[in-house]
Amino acid sequence: MSFAIETEGLGRDYGDVRALDGLDLAVARGTVVGVLGPNGAGKTTAMLLLATLLSPTHGAARVFGHDTVRERTAVRRRLGLLFQETSVDGLLTPEENLRFAARLAGLGGRLAHAAAADTIRRIGLGPRAHRPARELSGGWRRLLDIARATLHQPDLLILDEPTVGLDPEHRDAVWSLLDTQRRDHGTTVLFSTHYLAEAEPADRVVLLASGRVVADDKPAALRAELGAEMAEIDGEGAERLARAIRGLGAAQAVLRTGRGYRVGIAGERQAVVELAARAPGIDRFTLRATSLEDVYFARTLDAEATVAW
Amino acid sequence: MSQWSAVHGIIARDLTRSTRQTSRLLGGVARPIMWLVLLGTGYNTIASLDSGLPYREFVFPGIVIMAALFGGTLTAIGTVYDREFGMLRLMLASPAGVPAVLAGRSVAATLVGTFQGAIVLAFAPFLLDLAPGRWLPALAALAAVSAMSAMLGLLVASRIRSVENFAGIINVVLFPLLFLSGALYPTSGMPAVLRAVARVNPVTHAVDLMRHALGQPAEISLAAAASVVLGVTAAAFLLAALLFDPEQRFFPKRPPGSGSATGP
Repeated sequence: MSFAIETEGLGRDYGDVRALDGLDLAVARGTVVGVLGPNGAGKTTAMLLLATLLSPTHGAARVFGHDTVRERTAVRRRLGLLFQETSVDGLLTPEENLRFAARLAGLGGRLAHAAAADTIRRIGLGPRAHRPARELSGGWRRLLDIARATLHQPDLLILDEPTVGLDPEHRDAVWSLLDTQRRDHGTTVLFSTHYLAEAEPADRVVLLASGRVVADDKPAALRAELGAEMAEIDGEGAERLARAIRGLGAAQAVLRTGRGYRVGIAGERQAVVELAARAPGIDRFTLRATSLEDVYFARTLDAEATVAW
Repeated sequence: MSQWSAVHGIIARDLTRSTRQTSRLLGGVARPIMWLVLLGTGYNTIASLDSGLPYREFVFPGIVIMAALFGGTLTAIGTVYDREFGMLRLMLASPAGVPAVLAGRSVAATLVGTFQGAIVLAFAPFLLDLAPGRWLPALAALAAVSAMSAMLGLLVASRIRSVENFAGIINVVLFPLLFLSGALYPTSGMPAVLRAVARVNPVTHAVDLMRHALGQPAEISLAAAASVVLGVTAAAFLLAALLFDPEQRFFPKRPPGSGSATGP
């Protein structure tokens, strides 16, 4: 199989600080991979390394077979990039912003005009395309920025928190645009996000913590490790109830969070519900499907999060 | 082709931005004209120069250079805005890379500096007796000095992180360069230490290059002035290329998100 991204022991030090440590990754072409983790986990560093904006201090990375250090230009020709800061020039119109991006991607005069016009039509900017971009709302600016990253039809999109700060409507518009890009052009997408629900439809999720990979699998497989359902328990009796559920043999995992306990349930659902109904000191008890947020708590927080009684 | 497309795109964007920042553009033209009118008129009656030139004629080349210096440098320093808002990283990550960014930026800043300087130069017939054959050398000198100013601006922009430092740059970099250049008064009258500083100040050479172009007496020879202006331009370009390297291989770097000095 040919890969869009291959890394071997990829890492980066900043002086004494190891921001990314030994990342081994093989991303198949046309797949969508979410990179999750707390702030400072190494997500942005990994993306900058793959975008050729940083060189590794150890290990190596290849994008479509091109080394990210020795063959930077070849790698850059295949990339569409989106950073956390929205890269839209408010003094230019959206149309001028897009033409500028097309020029940066190496498209000549008529091609640049055509790519900009096509992008404006695709995202439905309409008459807004010819007003200064500073007049656009934050959501539209971000949508324009993503359209900018895709206008030259890149083979690999690297998106650092593409929906940060957006309302649900614009987040939906962003993912719709990316879905279309992937469906129509087979684009590989590597993205980071703190909205964990956005990573649920991904083909694969890589969880980073303190510069290291702590989980790497399909979202369903990661969720299954904790149990099909998760009980959220708050209140002074939360620990007692969590222990009792474990005593029933129904707890696949027990997590302690700031608000209380989360218990991954495996079987004996009715018994757990009855136990919770009788338990004293419980302010809140809910049973819901296990999510990536639970996986995040289990894998990326400190060791105290996962309780082993 | 991709290199040229990127350079073309950067020039077009920078020039579009410049025309839309009307207050800055007008300020860039009004500032030197105001100095020319106020300083030239005020000192013309009291200043007596060894060269025998009236003060307003003496100060004219310096004011033309001032317009080009401020126009070129401040346009190039606009790169700081791009760093702060993520556009610079986008440009540096393009296939064309650092050379295209520097080339595009420096050409655009040179054009802005030349334009602002040319507006002041257009006042020449009202202030001095300029032979028709002097216009072309004057424009060539103006373009060369604007290019040097653009590269100095890029050099400054490579190390500052916030647009809030703009006023500081004008006060700490541009005004000292101008006051220690012989633009407003001959360097021969300065104390020895300041005169020595003026001799190594590239703006001194820029002013004298313009004096030669306009047919005025100058303290530095034409060959020396032209060599320094071109040499400083080339050296600043090379140094800026190292400093703008997105990898920042020659300078310590902190992890993303750990502070303000996070990236290109």
